[in-house]
Amino acid sequence: MMDLTVEFKGVGKHYPHFNLDNIDLVLPTGSIMGFIGANGAGKSTTIRILMGLVHQDLGAVNVLGHSMPSQQAAAKLDIGFVSEDMRLYGAATLEWHMKFVSSMFPKWDQAYADKLVQRFDLKPQQKIKGLSHGQRVKAALLLALARKPRLLVLDEPTTGLDPVARREVLGELMAVLADEDRTILFSSHNTQDVEQISDQITFIDRGRIVDSDDKEAFLDQWRRLRLVLPQHAELPHLPGVIDVGGSGRLPVLTTNRFDPGMLTVCQDLGATVQAVDSMTLEEIFVTSVQHRRETLTV
Amino acid sequence: MNYSMVKRLILKDWYLQRMAIVASVLGGIGALGVVCIGGQAAFMIGLVLLITALIAVGAHLAIATMVNERKEQTLSFVMSLPISHAEYTLAKLLGTLVIFMFPYLVLVLGSAALFAIPHGIPHGLLPFTTIMAVEILFNTCLMIAVALVTESQGWTVAAIIVGNISINIVGYFVAHLPDIERGMQSSSLMWSPTASIALLVEFALIALMLCLTFFLQSRKRDFV
Repeated sequence: MMDLTVEFKGVGKHYPHFNLDNIDLVLPTGSIMGFIGANGAGKSTTIRILMGLVHQDLGAVNVLGHSMPSQQAAAKLDIGFVSEDMRLYGAATLEWHMKFVSSMFPKWDQAYADKLVQRFDLKPQQKIKGLSHGQRVKAALLLALARKPRLLVLDEPTTGLDPVARREVLGELMAVLADEDRTILFSSHNTQDVEQISDQITFIDRGRIVDSDDKEAFLDQWRRLRLVLPQHAELPHLPGVIDVGGSGRLPVLTTNRFDPGMLTVCQDLGATVQAVDSMTLEEIFVTSVQHRRETLTV
Repeated sequence: MNYSMVKRLILKDWYLQRMAIVASVLGGIGALGVVCIGGQAAFMIGLVLLITALIAVGAHLAIATMVNERKEQTLSFVMSLPISHAEYTLAKLLGTLVIFMFPYLVLVLGSAALFAIPHGIPHGLLPFTTIMAVEILFNTCLMIAVALVTESQGWTVAAIIVGNISINIVGYFVAHLPDIERGMQSSSLMWSPTASIALLVEFALIALMLCLTFFLQSRKRDFV
């Protein structure tokens, strides 16, 4: 049986203008999940429910064997959390923050914290209000990582960073993650960031999970087929094709269940397969969300 | 309830508010100094300064430790620590009150000492002063409770205004209670049952308000 660090079962949360609807989500231990959604899709609400900061109206949430939100204090002993809207105390130094956080986490590793100070090029004696946004994100990451969490939850940590700082933070994060064996949930609306570090991907849109799978499965199964049809030939319905673009004789098919057999079917129809294009995670995400919205509209 | 975590949260607020505490104590001591000059005008000016110092520190604590926690987005940092909502609530209530009690007790005991020195304040004013000191404590609890439950600057400012007005109204009302009024004109202490009842009512209201705050906080579903 798979060891799960996070498990959402039928979780719902109602707000006057937004509903998180029937969320089923599992995060196997040791995996790095990219949680992708547009702004306002429900990523932060889902993560806040995971952290016990927001109480779900429906369903059950289990994190590291603890029921949330009732057992959040015990669960949070093993969680490192950094979110885009999280701020540290501006009037205090990073050194004070490290002392404060270390006093609350028995597994705090000061030697590792010192190493991260060096790696992130931070100055412990500097007040937080004197740091740049990129440095603040790094400081928050340091405070989350040095507590040696079994689960690391990163809610849009790269949002608002300039390209240089974003690259630095992601680079440092990847370097840090390379030598660790921990479960990570990384949310972002930036698919490039997620693609770099995740091995599992979940798409969320308008409060519902659209799709969830291994990153490689997404990249392997999604393809764009560029065809040339013979005159007067009609494109038949092909299983797994979720979007047909292009023009009459030059259709472009998008499939989320690519199988080389599809090419044979097309060729049997007399069609010429001009190209089979791989898709980026961003293209997969956008197509996936558009397909779901169209399906819901129909 | 993990009291060790509660203690750490209280110490955190104590550290972050240390300058405000020092400033309020110094301001209060200055006000006591004015009272020591002697004479009715100095007494009134000193009293107003003293009350102002205590209201200011109470209002500052409510805004700085609770409203700003949300406004400056440090709440999600605090709530990412291994604490429950109940521990956060207890730490905020207890922590802010303990921090307030430091300048409060220094100033209240300082005021009490003025009664002890020869040619100081007439002893007959002691019941009125005691009732008003507890009224200031009640006022601070109101500001803290509103700030904690609403986390809203607007509501907290409204509570500060209401508290400020109520101090004047309560002061006027208490000063005109026959038992208290008679005693105020005396040079010797006259502790009346009316003074005891007034204090009991104030403490009961403080206890009720703190219980109500815990109840409302326990019903909150969204913390960040």
